[in-house]
Amino acid sequence: MKVITIDSNKCVGCRNCEMACAYQRTQETCAYSESNIKINHFIEERILLPMTCLHCEDAPCMTVCPAKAISKDEELGVIVIDKNKCAGCKMCMLVCAYGNIHFDHEALVSRKCNLCEGNPKCVGHCISGALQFEELETVMEKERLKTDERIKSFLRKHGE
Amino acid sequence: MAKEIKKSCCRMCGMLCGIDVHVEDGRVVEIEGNKNYVANNGRICIKGSSGLSQLYHKDRLMKPLKKVNGEFVEIELEQAMDEIAAKLKQLQETYGTASVGVWKGEGTGFAQQEELARRFTHAIKTPNYFSNDTQCYAGRYISYNLNYGTWPAADFRNSKLAVIWGTNAPASHSYWTQDINAGREKGGKLVVIDTMYTDMARVADLYIQIKPGTDGVLAWGLIQQLIKQAVIDEEFIATYTHGYAELEAYAKMFTPEYVEKYTGVSQAQLQEVVDLYKVATPHVSSWCGTGLEHQTNGVSNVRTVAYIDALIGAVDVPGSMVTLDGFGASHLEIELDDELVELAIGKKEYPVLYGQRGECHTLLLMDQILSEKPYPFKGLVMTAANPALTNANSQKVVEALSALELLVVKDLYMTETAKLADYILPAASYLERSEIQYSGINQTVKLTEQVVDLGLQNEYDLFKGLADRLGAADLIPWKNEEAMNRWLVEPTGISYEDLAAHRDGYQYKPLTYNKIQGAHANGKTPFNTKTGKIEFTSEYLRDMGYEPLAKYTSVPVYIDRPETDYPLVLMTGARKVMYFHGRYRNIEQINKVMPEGLVELHPDDAMNLNVQEGDRVRVVTENGAIEIKVKVLHEAEIFPGAIQITHGFAKANVNMLVGDGTRDPISGFPALKSVPARVEKI
Repeated sequence: MKVITIDSNKCVGCRNCEMACAYQRTQETCAYSESNIKINHFIEERILLPMTCLHCEDAPCMTVCPAKAISKDEELGVIVIDKNKCAGCKMCMLVCAYGNIHFDHEALVSRKCNLCEGNPKCVGHCISGALQFEELETVMEKERLKTDERIKSFLRKHGE
Repeated sequence: MAKEIKKSCCRMCGMLCGIDVHVEDGRVVEIEGNKNYVANNGRICIKGSSGLSQLYHKDRLMKPLKKVNGEFVEIELEQAMDEIAAKLKQLQETYGTASVGVWKGEGTGFAQQEELARRFTHAIKTPNYFSNDTQCYAGRYISYNLNYGTWPAADFRNSKLAVIWGTNAPASHSYWTQDINAGREKGGKLVVIDTMYTDMARVADLYIQIKPGTDGVLAWGLIQQLIKQAVIDEEFIATYTHGYAELEAYAKMFTPEYVEKYTGVSQAQLQEVVDLYKVATPHVSSWCGTGLEHQTNGVSNVRTVAYIDALIGAVDVPGSMVTLDGFGASHLEIELDDELVELAIGKKEYPVLYGQRGECHTLLLMDQILSEKPYPFKGLVMTAANPALTNANSQKVVEALSALELLVVKDLYMTETAKLADYILPAASYLERSEIQYSGINQTVKLTEQVVDLGLQNEYDLFKGLADRLGAADLIPWKNEEAMNRWLVEPTGISYEDLAAHRDGYQYKPLTYNKIQGAHANGKTPFNTKTGKIEFTSEYLRDMGYEPLAKYTSVPVYIDRPETDYPLVLMTGARKVMYFHGRYRNIEQINKVMPEGLVELHPDDAMNLNVQEGDRVRVVTENGAIEIKVKVLHEAEIFPGAIQITHGFAKANVNMLVGDGTRDPISGFPALKSVPARVEKI
């Protein structure tokens, strides 16, 4: 199973991901407002935080949806909204703790990242390398190595 | 359904990222980054994927057009070529062979196209080759070559410190963003020096906001402190450089107090930079953008920054400024008789520009067309350039190009410049031809695949067709572009077929370090300068009668001007991620992100002017006035008193505000980034 990972230290806020996402979905505009991925730029704190659906293990949006329009593809690990079933009640938007569900004002249904059927355009357009689309196991292996590195540095400094 | 992936290089900007072009039943359906291409690692920007929209755009020019009584009418390509050739011949016979020339634009091809255009001009006995390089690139090329005899590449991926001056990689060198981040991930630090808080500045360890056009002073101040605090590499200086004593003596006046007063950069920040150098040296890389180049002291700004790398020995070691190996392909340029060379437009006024780059001066061209002095210039063949929008003093550009007896524009679309043409030739785009493209620091070459054929003429066939008709067939002898490409790769040691088989790029040599150190050990002079060393004092400049040291003397005009008519300083030319100079305003989905030109200003200036975001204002300079919408930036995003307008918008064309008379004395570049201006509420 592959997941999108985000390294906020690398994000420069160029917003290519937003433009690519908006165009992939609409096929007519790259306007940032039409994107399912959002770049949060806190200029005073000098923090950039890309935010997109985390495809939660136990997704509150899926539980709350009264129309049962939200389901999970276990194989791809992707949570999708069936826009033919969605009644546009916005419960999912309210329940998502990360604000990663948006509203399609034309179709009057909720919209969110669907991983572009396994080839997320945001990642393909991330020119900084902040977004990656990787096998979960690779991500965990990298995290483990990073932790090891941190422990090593700590021991080098304080271990004697 | 027949599906395939063709491998090309993106030409939506100049970075040449590797792309996978998905084709179904002969039609392109998607463009993605090539994951196996060493430069961009599978990633492209929004321009890159929008190449699909450009390819099949409803406004693509498909038939040659001829202006008859002020209206364009369609004609056949052969007829257009015959008539253009006949007119060129007539002009050359009437006014002399130098009365015509070629202007190479950036909208279609790249690598070999420049040399081909130069070859064609010389083949038809004119020295007058022009390009947009005289407003971007040539100034920095000259600067680095004066110092080093080459332009070393920045080894960002291995830098312990990268110092970025007046440029924003995400908008102008997209995949360098990955490279800079790769260096940061390994613990490298990043300093960004810019008047504007750019995308790249957002991830910098240290962002330094500097007063427009004063980078040279900061660079000299850094030099002064690096010497004073003994961060320099004395052995490297003694072995590899020339003119240190003069540099050291001149640097003395740039005290931290002076730097702070002049540039707005605090003494504490200056020390922070010095401290970063202390830790990282010599694994330091730097890059200068047009922020430094588009100034009256442009060449000196860039040369001074380049001095720093040499002073700390950050040359040819990992993470520093590295010299590159070439592929060894043949070159297309051919010699021209001396008496014709002397007629090159701008050669007398800007001999270094002509001497180093073989470029004629586009601003002086406009004067010469209008004045017919020192000789009449009457005919211009232009490939995918749009100077009516992108050259300084647009009013004069339009007047001059309209005064030509023959203007031929080859382009993908009807542009502001094409509208002035006598003939318009539809151009084949990068996806419709096979070209040899390079990726600098990756030392990789790639023969791009022709993806589709829309039946349109490429640049090779244009120049070949004209040369044939003008009696210069022997000088452009190849049957077609492929035959020329075969000839180009002959001396390289790899066959054309092998190159073609390396669809993901062919690395002709891995990047190596210590080449100059190796050359020195073998008793050779490692740098292609007069002294064979890195020249702090350029002997080439001295011979030409210029000051050899990059002194900060050509001060931006706004600085010492107390007059209040123009209290702000206008900067132009900051790139936007979704556009490339004057291009892509007609790609609908991109245009929706930024549909019109904007004047970006500091909130304090907005308050003083009593204007708000979205208001329309008039921006006025000595050269002209435009009406434009206001964008109020965050106070951290721009130096107070500075305003920025990006070029390339026809309805708010900032080049109408930029004069063509205030120039760098060496490169001849117009001072696009320090124009005295005022904003009027309307």
